[in-house]
Amino acid sequence: MAKARAIIKRLKAVKNIRKITRTMELIATARFKKAMDRATEAAAYTRKIAEIVADLSKADLSFSHPLLTQPAEQKKTVLLVMTSNRGLCGGYNAGVLRHVMPRLKESKANCEELTLEVAGKRGQAFLKFQGVEPDRFYGGFEDKPGFDEVDEIAQRYIDGFVKGEIHRVDVAYTEFLSSARQQAVLKTLLPLGKLDSDEGEDESSRAVDYEFLPSPEDILEEIVPAAFKAQLFKCFLDAAVSEQIARMVAMKGATENAGEMISTLSMQYNRARQSQITSELSEIIGGAAALE
Amino acid sequence: MAKELQLVVVTPETTLLDEPVSGLRFPLFDGQIGVLPGRAPLVGRLGCGELSVTTTAGPRSFFVDGGFVQITGATVTLLTARCVAAADIDRDAAAKGLKEAQARQAITDDAIEARFRDQERSRKMLALKK
Repeated sequence: MAKARAIIKRLKAVKNIRKITRTMELIATARFKKAMDRATEAAAYTRKIAEIVADLSKADLSFSHPLLTQPAEQKKTVLLVMTSNRGLCGGYNAGVLRHVMPRLKESKANCEELTLEVAGKRGQAFLKFQGVEPDRFYGGFEDKPGFDEVDEIAQRYIDGFVKGEIHRVDVAYTEFLSSARQQAVLKTLLPLGKLDSDEGEDESSRAVDYEFLPSPEDILEEIVPAAFKAQLFKCFLDAAVSEQIARMVAMKGATENAGEMISTLSMQYNRARQSQITSELSEIIGGAAALE
Repeated sequence: MAKELQLVVVTPETTLLDEPVSGLRFPLFDGQIGVLPGRAPLVGRLGCGELSVTTTAGPRSFFVDGGFVQITGATVTLLTARCVAAADIDRDAAAKGLKEAQARQAITDDAIEARFRDQERSRKMLALKK
């Protein structure tokens, strides 16, 4: 019977899909572990910078640096959007892009000169569909963003900000809160709000009388850009980790759904086969009865 | 007094070194500094050049490119954007960098300074890679 055959075809297709999604899930899991390790290692740098900043602040220093001061006007802004290069990762890209469109509208309403920069092909495709042309596109960031590449971008922002060509830098990305929670956010990176993180530190152990070479001011001048670079790098790492998690979860769901579908389809197939046999039997019996 | 120092080298991507050393030398912004166990606390800016470490297993050398140093008690922490073992320096890339820097046209003071910095960095890398 044609129906049973059609069901077999679908069953095969769904089984194939399940294999693929299952594999993708495993790959995403492996990549997530790697990305997570990188993010944890990178955290050491950020922590140390925060520590030195805390040491500097003990030296009775007023924090003043071009990167920390709010410019008088906010006309020239930069929006960096971090999306993935590949799809099949659930609501990961949609979550980030949901923050982007309102921001673009707002910038239009405020007559800002917004420079839109996009990392990831998905974001580019979405914006193209919306009729927005990004000013810059980075396609090279996969699950292992390198510091050198981020450094280049960060340096450009810093130079622009100091010269007054950029008044504000926003980043739309997925923040990694824990392995069970990631959140798409729109964050202002420049001007830097504050340097020291909220991590509680015990005052007693930090009461060290440092010798500063050359001077606290000079060190501050160097450390502020370094802190900004570390922050931007962290955004990229967070985005990479979150992407892998999103893909893992999405593929897990897909595999489960495919499994469910397989059991429904095989039940349907068995029923169809049984009804085929029954009808054939009744035809034979009917035929034999007619001959008598 | 402590006999050993704990050297921690941190780059944005990873913690490169975390091991006990008996002494080390590295470039500060204005010249070399040597650190032995018992050094007073220090926070300083790094220059670029050779980081040479004396361990029980023998001397080792690395190339560091700017950053910060923090010394507290027996721990020396180097925060640097780039740190490579001397043996892993890419000679061709360094030579190319030097050529590029030498050929670059610099008009403003900043550009001249940047060019000088790049030249110095490449020269130091080449000198380190024997």
